[in-house]
Amino acid sequence: MRRSADKARSLKRKGVTDFQIKLITLLGLLILWETLSRLGYISPLSLPRPTRLASTLWDLSVYGFPTDITVWLHIRATMSRIVQGYLLATVVAIPLGLIIGRSYLLERGTNPIITFARSVATISLLPLAIAWFGVNELSRVLLIMYGAFWAILTNTIQGARSVDTNFINVGRMFGAKRSRIFFRVILPATLPRIFAGLKIALGISFMVIIGVEMIGTVEGLGALIQQARFFYKSDMAIDGTIFIGLLGLILSVLLDWVERLLLPWAVGLEEVKR
Amino acid sequence: MSTVDVKVDIAHVTKQFDAENPEQGLALADVSFGVRTNEFVAIVGRSGCGKSTMLNIIAGLLDPTEGEVLINGKPVKGPGLDRGMVFQHASLFPWLTAIENIEFGPRNLGVPKEKRRELAQGLIELVRLKGFEDKYPRELSGGMQQRVAIARAMAMDPEILLMDEPFGALDQLTREDMQHELLRIWESHKKTVLFVTHSIIESVYLSDRVLVFAPHPGSVRKEFSITLPRPRQKSSTEFMRYYEEIYEAIG
Amino acid sequence: MRTARLRQGLMASWSGFILLIVFWQLISSVLITDSSLFPGPVQVMRSTMQNLALARLLQHLGISLQRIGLGFAIGAVSGIILGVTCGWYRTLGSVLRTPIELVRPVPPLAWIPLAIIWLGLGESSKVFIIFLGAFFPVFTNTYKGMTTIEPNIIRSAQMLGLKGSRLLLRVVVPATLPDIATGIRVGWSYSFGCMVAAELIAAQSGLGYLIMHARELGITAIIVFGIVLIGVTNLITDYLIQELILKRKLRWHFLGTEQV
Repeated sequence: MRRSADKARSLKRKGVTDFQIKLITLLGLLILWETLSRLGYISPLSLPRPTRLASTLWDLSVYGFPTDITVWLHIRATMSRIVQGYLLATVVAIPLGLIIGRSYLLERGTNPIITFARSVATISLLPLAIAWFGVNELSRVLLIMYGAFWAILTNTIQGARSVDTNFINVGRMFGAKRSRIFFRVILPATLPRIFAGLKIALGISFMVIIGVEMIGTVEGLGALIQQARFFYKSDMAIDGTIFIGLLGLILSVLLDWVERLLLPWAVGLEEVKR
Repeated sequence: MSTVDVKVDIAHVTKQFDAENPEQGLALADVSFGVRTNEFVAIVGRSGCGKSTMLNIIAGLLDPTEGEVLINGKPVKGPGLDRGMVFQHASLFPWLTAIENIEFGPRNLGVPKEKRRELAQGLIELVRLKGFEDKYPRELSGGMQQRVAIARAMAMDPEILLMDEPFGALDQLTREDMQHELLRIWESHKKTVLFVTHSIIESVYLSDRVLVFAPHPGSVRKEFSITLPRPRQKSSTEFMRYYEEIYEAIG
Repeated sequence: MRTARLRQGLMASWSGFILLIVFWQLISSVLITDSSLFPGPVQVMRSTMQNLALARLLQHLGISLQRIGLGFAIGAVSGIILGVTCGWYRTLGSVLRTPIELVRPVPPLAWIPLAIIWLGLGESSKVFIIFLGAFFPVFTNTYKGMTTIEPNIIRSAQMLGLKGSRLLLRVVVPATLPDIATGIRVGWSYSFGCMVAAELIAAQSGLGYLIMHARELGITAIIVFGIVLIGVTNLITDYLIQELILKRKLRWHFLGTEQV
């Protein structure tokens, strides 16, 4: 730590970057895994070797599991649920959040409800949704919507509440009407915080849907790995899990990209806590 | 300069940061100078002239690429208790109160509780922070924080005090207060001081000698001995003359 | 002037809360015909007390808390230790972080099937999921804290004679504590969600199981009760962690900030 500035520079000089270390580690781990498995140190039943995982991946893409449901269909099912629930939540939560955020009394009045609703574990609502709507897409999409809704709402409220009054005063000085101020000043100023909420909500939606798909359906990534579990097909389960991870990664990268597009001036304002 | 009394000897120090970019990365090139015991030396210069780098090398926080720093004749190999340092900002331990910050060094040496509390209390009074002992850094103003920083460095009773633009983050009035305070403390607790600043006025006001550093590469361009008696009048003609000369030397 | 506004706000909060309950009761008794499917607050309490023995309820609650306590403890402790290690030894950190960063995008719930294949249907598979829920936020925040300490704090400590493990334990770790605290708070709420989900999907005991089982039995009131109970437990434990543990120990960090 003493000469950390020096040391960091000397490492760079040797051409070894952080990324390269990670890459080498990853390859090393994969090779180790494959070797140990072939030598018989790791049971192929519980932890199939990487080459086996790759061939199963092929099976999943072409033949599917359960039969005919390829991994692409699974992904499509999961995505469609996420998109529907997430969009529904966004469309309601953002306007509502902006309205509540601009009124002190409304914010205080809704605060207990929101605090409580947020602390309800979204997935615990699944049995209730099933009781009311049955085991179908509606229940699943509603659950996603619930999970995403509160995160977007609370962040939008926070964002609307904390708009720098200087901005608003400047708008007033330019003689803008209330509605103009709203759309041209308050909304853009709130956007970074709204995006923070959107990102968190996406993460939540993703987690919720995986859990929801493990109950009562055979289509969807969550369902895939659950089915794999029932049949003790650990290779499929691992492949499915990898797909889930990749999908999650892609979704968050996508959202980051959209944010950079819309808000080039505010990227990175809010820290992700996960 | 007499070779008999050289407390700190900087001998042909070169510091290269970026080997691939020799011109950009050469922070210091063949810098040599000496500091006498209990002398107050200021280092001034534009941003990027290597003055902070120089101070960090003397402190032992950085190693020179070439050359060495000798203290009392012995080369510097890393931070040591013979040198204390005060940074510009954000250096106090936020989880400790003012007095606990000051006690930190002695505590690490194993000094027993009563003794170090006594020592710290004395220093609190020296820097005129009585009543604020149990405040956390977050509760203190910038000037107060720097007083604590000075007291904390003094708690180890170092022979040499290194100060890297300690008042740079303060507003003008507080800054002038702190300059008086520093002189007062220095006059009662004599130490060898190396003070980096970009304020010429500050350097002339405080020091016995001003070293003007120039950038690209960092080196001592000129040296000035300030022979005015203290306390100095910033408005006096002699003061102004020093100011002009140093300003010109900086270029 | 200010206190009048605060009082108004408080009244608004209470009104909102009471309105909700009243609304709930109204809808269930007036609008919906089949009251067993949409029980009002009164019905929920009555039905639950009729069909669920207090002892059983407490048993399920206890099991849930035990699971989350254990999973969280293991997750948080390992998250802190690994976070500190990776932050202190950077090269080792790059190596260790590779598998961690690879696993992180996978939601803990997605590990349930594999956990069951590997660990069976017993307690360990559920504790494992909860552990994952706690580990990643704690690790990430601890690591972030370790790598974003003010450099002058480290330098000052070095000038005061500290190095090696002393520097780590007496300076670096205390400086990281606020970030560790954030990680703990987030980790707890993730753990909680994981516990509920794991119990819903793959358990024979606990609050999650209770709700699922109630649906099988067709007693909607208990489902609602369970949902509310989970929510309330979440709130209470969150409050406990925040106020009692964190704010006390980290007074120095929160001073001067009205809201965390």
